[in-house]
Amino acid sequence: MDCYTANWNPLGDSAFYRKYELYSMDWDLKEELRDCLVAAAPYGGPIVLQNRVLDARIFHTEFGSGVAILTGAHRFTLSANVGDLKLRRMPEVPGLQSAPSCWTVLCQDRVAHILLAVGPDLYLLDHAACSAVTPPGLAPGVSSFLQMAVSFTYRHLALFTDTGYIWMGTASLKEKLCEFNCNIRAPPKQMVWCSRPRSKERAVVVAWERRLMVVGDAPESIQFVLDEDSYLVPELDGVRIFSRSTHEFLHEVPAASEEIFKIASMAPGALLLEAQKEYEKESQKADEYLREIQELGQLTQAVQQCIEAAGHEHQPDMQKSLLRAASFGKCFLDRFPPDSFVHMCQDLRVLNAVRDYHIGIPLTYSQYKQLTIQVLLDRLVLRRLYPLAIQICEYLRLPEVQGVSRILAHWACYKVQQKDVSDEDVARAINQKLGDTPGVSYSDIAARAYGCGRTELAIKLLEYEPRSGEQVPLLLKMKRSKLALSKAIESGDTDLVFTVLLHLKNELNRGDFFMTLRNQPMALSLYRQFCKHQELETLKDLYNQDDNHQELGSFHIRASYAAEERIEGRVAALQTAADAFYKAKNEFAAKATEDQMRLLRLQRRLEDELGGQFLDLSLHDTVTTLILGGHNKRAEQLARDFRIPDKRLWWLKLTALADLEDWEELEKFSKSKKSPIGYLPFVEICMKQHNKYEAKKYASRVGPEQKVKALLLVGDVAQAADVAIEHRNEAELSLVLSHCTGATDGATADKIQRARAQAQKK
Amino acid sequence: MAFPHRPDAPELPDFSMLKRLARDQLIYLLEQLPGKKDLFIEADLMSPLDRIANVSILKQHEVDKLYKVENKPALSSNEQLCFLVRPRIKNMRYIASLVNADKLAGRTRKYKVIFSPQKFYACEMVLEEEGIYGDVSCDEWAFSLLPLDVDLLSMELPEFFRDYFLEGDQRWINTVAQALHLLSTLYGPFPNCYGIGRCAKMAYELWRNLEEEEDGETKGRRPEIGHIFLLDRDVDFVTALCSQVVYEGLVDDTFRIKCGSVDFGPEVTSSDKSLKVLLNAEDKVFNEIRNEHFSNVFGFLSQKARNLQAQYDRRRGMDIKQMKNFVSQELKGLKQEHRLLNIGACESIMKKKTKQDFQELIKTEHALLEGFNIRESTSYIEEHIDRQVSPIESLRLMCLLSITENGLIPKDYRSLKTQYLQSYGPEHLLTFSNLRRAGLLTEQAPGDTLTAVESKVSKLVTDKAAGKITDAFSSLAKRSNFRAISKKLNLIPRVDGEYDLKVPRDMAYVFGGAYVPLSCRIIEQVLERRSWQGLDEVVRLLNCSDFAFTDMTKEDKASSESLRLILVVFLGGCTFSEISALRFLGREKGYRFIFLTTAVTNSARLMEAMSEVKA
Repeated sequence: MDCYTANWNPLGDSAFYRKYELYSMDWDLKEELRDCLVAAAPYGGPIVLQNRVLDARIFHTEFGSGVAILTGAHRFTLSANVGDLKLRRMPEVPGLQSAPSCWTVLCQDRVAHILLAVGPDLYLLDHAACSAVTPPGLAPGVSSFLQMAVSFTYRHLALFTDTGYIWMGTASLKEKLCEFNCNIRAPPKQMVWCSRPRSKERAVVVAWERRLMVVGDAPESIQFVLDEDSYLVPELDGVRIFSRSTHEFLHEVPAASEEIFKIASMAPGALLLEAQKEYEKESQKADEYLREIQELGQLTQAVQQCIEAAGHEHQPDMQKSLLRAASFGKCFLDRFPPDSFVHMCQDLRVLNAVRDYHIGIPLTYSQYKQLTIQVLLDRLVLRRLYPLAIQICEYLRLPEVQGVSRILAHWACYKVQQKDVSDEDVARAINQKLGDTPGVSYSDIAARAYGCGRTELAIKLLEYEPRSGEQVPLLLKMKRSKLALSKAIESGDTDLVFTVLLHLKNELNRGDFFMTLRNQPMALSLYRQFCKHQELETLKDLYNQDDNHQELGSFHIRASYAAEERIEGRVAALQTAADAFYKAKNEFAAKATEDQMRLLRLQRRLEDELGGQFLDLSLHDTVTTLILGGHNKRAEQLARDFRIPDKRLWWLKLTALADLEDWEELEKFSKSKKSPIGYLPFVEICMKQHNKYEAKKYASRVGPEQKVKALLLVGDVAQAADVAIEHRNEAELSLVLSHCTGATDGATADKIQRARAQAQKK
Repeated sequence: MAFPHRPDAPELPDFSMLKRLARDQLIYLLEQLPGKKDLFIEADLMSPLDRIANVSILKQHEVDKLYKVENKPALSSNEQLCFLVRPRIKNMRYIASLVNADKLAGRTRKYKVIFSPQKFYACEMVLEEEGIYGDVSCDEWAFSLLPLDVDLLSMELPEFFRDYFLEGDQRWINTVAQALHLLSTLYGPFPNCYGIGRCAKMAYELWRNLEEEEDGETKGRRPEIGHIFLLDRDVDFVTALCSQVVYEGLVDDTFRIKCGSVDFGPEVTSSDKSLKVLLNAEDKVFNEIRNEHFSNVFGFLSQKARNLQAQYDRRRGMDIKQMKNFVSQELKGLKQEHRLLNIGACESIMKKKTKQDFQELIKTEHALLEGFNIRESTSYIEEHIDRQVSPIESLRLMCLLSITENGLIPKDYRSLKTQYLQSYGPEHLLTFSNLRRAGLLTEQAPGDTLTAVESKVSKLVTDKAAGKITDAFSSLAKRSNFRAISKKLNLIPRVDGEYDLKVPRDMAYVFGGAYVPLSCRIIEQVLERRSWQGLDEVVRLLNCSDFAFTDMTKEDKASSESLRLILVVFLGGCTFSEISALRFLGREKGYRFIFLTTAVTNSARLMEAMSEVKA
């Protein structure tokens, strides 16, 4: 406990800074750092050493990372986004003959400016102009600026002058925060801001060859000795310092840690930590401390403090003892929401894992929260640390689609690039790992394989894709259209089938295309449907190639109605149809079509000779029309020619003559020979035309079976009753009875009842 | 009359949500084209649209004028045109002609095409071929389920029947799968699934894939509907081909119910105006008689009318308060106007149907179903054709004869067709070719009569993996086996004495006690067994050995109430008779059935779908 604050250095009255080792460097570095241009990404990001120098600064905005370059001609060029390299040349700086003594990029209102120092003057360069600026309250006597530093958030600026004087203020150059005179005139190697969100005392860290100085708004600075060449990396909440052999972190001690660990602190967290230690020693003091916190009503706060402080500790031991204290305190609270404690445990476990020097991502808790777990996973994936990433996902129970599946998919995409492994092995390895994890798209992986020129592997991988629809686009791209077609059909998505069909149509010659269709009935009917509306000729070709004469016949029949206007054309189309039907061995259709041709020609002649409308009437209607027009002879002739059966002819004539109300002709007709349809229809049709007189004539001729019906139709109930009684037919008797109405048929009804009674006696 | 549900009958889920969803989506789509616009609507979509969003809602969202998509040049002068269409090629041509005419005239407007229920790649292709793909913007209105009634959802896709069962076109199957997916998202998963038919199986598999892709969404939800049963129309053509004698079916056969409403002509309204009437459970009088055999309906209505008169007379001697009560309770609930309309409709039907013709017709149908006096029935059909009674009716009877008899004997097959062509015109040669392909009108003892290609193709079909591949000719290989199935499933009830239609004892009442609808019997049997076990022979006779399936998941989450709710999906359409029969079964067993159909159909619609008419 006592030694805990040993590495704390006060800066001013209220703040402490501490520096601790993250891990020692295990890199195989041949050059000295001083020989390299060093760039390091924040958030514990990777470090790049480059020994070809080109002066450049990288900066970060909401839109991504930008880069500013100082060219050999002393001109500045700037790109707001390295992902989208659009270089923009900045205006010339008047009178700039040599490289500026120092320069940096400022970001204000989302626009990048360049601040540069030439001798005693400072210039601010934006897209439009170059203006001279003066920092407020700058001590006099400056003849040149040796270093400048802008803070992580681009809010603050520090300037180091040749007089060993440091000016600290806002990046807008409108306000001075403080100044410090370090009395070292040697130009510093590096100067960076060291601050954190809600910092009590912002500081600037200045590094010379062997000396590190932390200065702030305080008369004294903190000084460290550097044993080796070191490089500073500004972070969100501190500064990373690495050298050939070690990697350290310098930051302002966070509030919670300070509260707890400050010597003789009486903060609730400090008391709780103490209480827990006493409790472990089984000392009654534990109770005293606890009581003290509870009396002040600060137990909740104490637990929170311990949890928070644990997050800021680098050493797992210290994290543990703080968490143990929090856990102990929680026991005495009724309703302390467990989330913060649980999440802190989880987060620390993840952080400790990535901080390991094998992984080398020394994130602090604040950085981790700012960065988010997704980005951290992305980084692990980029560095191909797949197992660790998967373990983290599983440990944090991330949904598979965002977590494990995504990482496995990345792994698989990397795997397909291993050219020295055979297609079979890669495919098998991938399938073994991925199985059918939800959210993994085998088609994406296959696409990657295809992108690397491994078509066979891609096809193998596609086999594992459960959604056949997903396989299709890539198969098409790989020119495996036939395979694509069967996959599309499997998917049941007709649109997809159609897409493939059109591909195939362009890719294959017509014969092959039709051949392919022939083996895929589903695709064939789909394409046929399309052709019916859009490409009639193709439809015909399709039937032709299949020797489908039946459908060809139907096709030509349809054409005879739709496409042809002239009678000759129609007959010709019908002839083609009839030929096709013969080939299809469909004699019936062939004959019917030939009849139709005859009928058409005949109708044409009738129109010419008799006038009126005959074309496209049915045979029945043609004959009817002839009778209605008084051309009985012609009608007879037609009936004979087309062998109209007798029954039909009788029905037809009966109806037509009744329509004409030609009762005389009807009677003549009825007597021409014995009616094949009986005489009831005559009765019915006369009654339909309300001619009871005529109806009665035929009623007498109706055969015995239908006599009752006929008599009832003409309204002769009494006689109907007689016939029914004579027939002794129960059904007929009830039929007649149902027709007996009230007064008029009373006698008849009685008669029937009597007959019934009699019949029952027997 | 009007049998009440058992007190333990489960509540139906609220399907009005589907309407709200559809409306909100449509409004969203309309607002994608801000400002005033004219809306062109495909004729087939007008009635469904009217049930979702009326004109005033359209106007609220800046629809200026409404036009029907038809083969006429549009007179719209608006700067923005919006087309609401089914994904059909002929619609694309219409739009293309309009846009190209504008281009010729040097006019630029904004065009937006909204496809319902989805767009097809072929349509976009045509737009591209016509050179206007870049000029129009395309959207989808995923409106696939219209609640026509509390227990009836219709996809309003009558073309499904012809496209799939005649042309072998599978494009709508995906739409069905999407609709089922929507239902399971809204009303929870279905713990028990059954199905029969090739299309049923494909739709089911596609639907399963969709559910798997969006894993987790329905997981953990409590099922609201315990069972789903998918059935292809071609499993049972017989029922759909019979004349309907239950009131609602009869109204459909006589007046054509369109999208849940019917236009009663002057002969019904007894005035010179026609009246459009919504027919559903909200019309209390209609609801009481819809499932009744029509012979009961007229008596029932007259009785009601008399009662009302009596009550009306009672008003003398009431005080104001009683009077108020009387008006609000009795008159409002009863909707006198509708009652009178029903009486009018009923009278009109009675006039037509009690005629001897109708009795004879029904008698013939019953003879066909029972399989006796075939010669007499054949002569009856011949006379029907000779007299030119009605092309559709004649065709229907021929099909009924063919299916019940496993095809016509060659002599009849030829002579009936010849007669038919002579009566109704030679173009029906194509109709017969269609009917044969669909298996509706065939010749006995096939094999040698199949052309070489057809038999080859039908062999191909039987060889291919089940459920994945279908073909237009598939039905050629089938025999209907109706007689054997009828015997196995006891479809013709043995009746001692009169069948009392007032107190039905089985589902046969919907056909005057003569025949239990095959489709409904299959559903009943499977639900009873909770599987196809023991029905192997029936399944084989139905030619569905590869396409009968059961899929059960654990039921622990399903409440006993939900397990008595059954969603029946008819692929290719269902008739009101089948609905009535299943409603009856539900009342008997304490189930409630919910119906999802690609469209409500009847014999005439099926026949029309197969008919070729001159363009």
